[in-house]
Amino acid sequence: MLYMNSDILRRLQKLNQLKLTDSEERDVLAFFEKQSAELESLSSAIDTENVERMVHVMPILTVVREDVVVKNFTREELQAGAPETMDGYWQVPRLVE
Amino acid sequence: MAKYETVIGLEVHIELATNSKIFCSCSAKFGGEQNDHVCPACCGMPGMLPVVNKRVVDLGMTAGMMLNCDINRVTTFDKKSYYYPDLPAAYQTTQWFAPVAVNGKVRIETSKGEKFIRIKQIHMEEDAGKLVHDDWTDTTLVDFNRTSVPLIEIVSQPDLNSAEEVVAYLEQLRSLLRFAKVSECRMEQGSMRCDVNLSVRPEGSDKLGVRTEMKNMNSISAIERAIAYETARHIDAIENGTEELVQETRRWDDIKGMSFAMRNKETAGDYRYFPDPNVMPVCIDDEWFERIKKSLPELPSVKKDRYIDELGLSEYDADILTQSRALCDCFEEAYAVSGLVKESANWIISNCMNVLNRKQLTADMLNIDGKALGKLILLVADGKVGHANAKKILEAMFDEDIDPEAYANENGYIVSNDTGKIEGVIRAVVAADPKSVADYKGGKEKALMALFGKCMKELKGNCDPQVLRELLIKIINE
Repeated sequence: MLYMNSDILRRLQKLNQLKLTDSEERDVLAFFEKQSAELESLSSAIDTENVERMVHVMPILTVVREDVVVKNFTREELQAGAPETMDGYWQVPRLVE
Repeated sequence: MAKYETVIGLEVHIELATNSKIFCSCSAKFGGEQNDHVCPACCGMPGMLPVVNKRVVDLGMTAGMMLNCDINRVTTFDKKSYYYPDLPAAYQTTQWFAPVAVNGKVRIETSKGEKFIRIKQIHMEEDAGKLVHDDWTDTTLVDFNRTSVPLIEIVSQPDLNSAEEVVAYLEQLRSLLRFAKVSECRMEQGSMRCDVNLSVRPEGSDKLGVRTEMKNMNSISAIERAIAYETARHIDAIENGTEELVQETRRWDDIKGMSFAMRNKETAGDYRYFPDPNVMPVCIDDEWFERIKKSLPELPSVKKDRYIDELGLSEYDADILTQSRALCDCFEEAYAVSGLVKESANWIISNCMNVLNRKQLTADMLNIDGKALGKLILLVADGKVGHANAKKILEAMFDEDIDPEAYANENGYIVSNDTGKIEGVIRAVVAADPKSVADYKGGKEKALMALFGKCMKELKGNCDPQVLRELLIKIINE
């Protein structure tokens, strides 16, 4: 059974820095409830006994590149779409931790 | 008062010695103008895909093998959720489910003897960028140059019980990884960083106490101070109830000599690790594995024993040389060319170290050609170049690639066997300083040295001292 309740949902909102309205919360919980039921039906229908855990969902391996420096972009190009910049920095609202 | 035991586990971040970043081709070089080493991938633009730098995997495996780990032949990358603008994708690409190396051990030695510290895992990951808080505009400025610079994190088991053991462990890690050229491991530049997980429990108890994690120590001595402070704080809280200990991350302030709470410690679940769908698994085949295994250097401790037992160096000399791979490499090359063990060791330990100190460089930064040093040592041993001039040649070797003999010829440093010229110089010096001549004849041995020095200066050091001395005495006594 997929584990979701209003406490976990609140914790996730905090971690993701999101604020859902009451009606959105109800929608999300309903969504998970439906998904859980569907997944539950899958897991009871498929026998996974003695099946090794997958390392990755894609049956392919990565390609690697050599350790060579290539400069393809200038700072100006990269910052062209930035809302705010200052002295070559991206500028964001002040963060206090 | 009950006795307490401190239980410490370390997370050590090591910046890898690569040219480019872990998932893109931007430069990984330290410094640079802000946001000059960036591209759409490392500044988190949507749709960009990471491509793994092979050298990062090479160095991750090398570190694993140096620390006696098992290498995961299929190793995968995972996303760690992280909401802070120094990592613009809002996650860090790291390894959680199948890190490159697991189950290692490191041998340390302290005043209490030998001990093995178990390594839980070594994982490869990307570094975060730099944030500058600007008071004038009341905003935060972001520099992504460090974002995606490759790191490994070495996670130990909680096997350490004192600051002394922690220092021995860190020094051992640094020595092994520098030897294998995995990293420069320079704490002052941030290429080696350490988080200390510490708890305290009554001696004999097998239950761990409340654990705190300390960050922001940028030297080994700061780590020692932080451990002493935090241990005392924990004991005080347990004994006197001065405060309630909670699991949290704390920041060490070395100037105040205190630690401060930063945030409640996240648990692994809070990071919501999940396999990164953008990076496929890395499969280390036999050929790759063997290539790295063959590239491993001889361990410093093995080298030291060999220098003492086979080459006959003193323990003191062997100890100094094996503190740095660069010194060992230079010594071995110089010895191979010159065949002179003691002289090769001496030239490195005294003359080369002097130059390094003067230039404010560390032993690891010794970059002269060992073979050329061997040739220089032979020139001195054969009496072709005097000591003073040999030191000048060595100095030049630090600045440019030179052949010592050719350089000595060009600069007139080759010892002259032209006795006619030497005699001419001696006669001139003797004629100009009758007082010293008279003093010597009167029994003052020091006067001879004064004359000898003047002659040597005139000859610019290019004279066999023995020949000069004999001729000088002969001419004075004529």
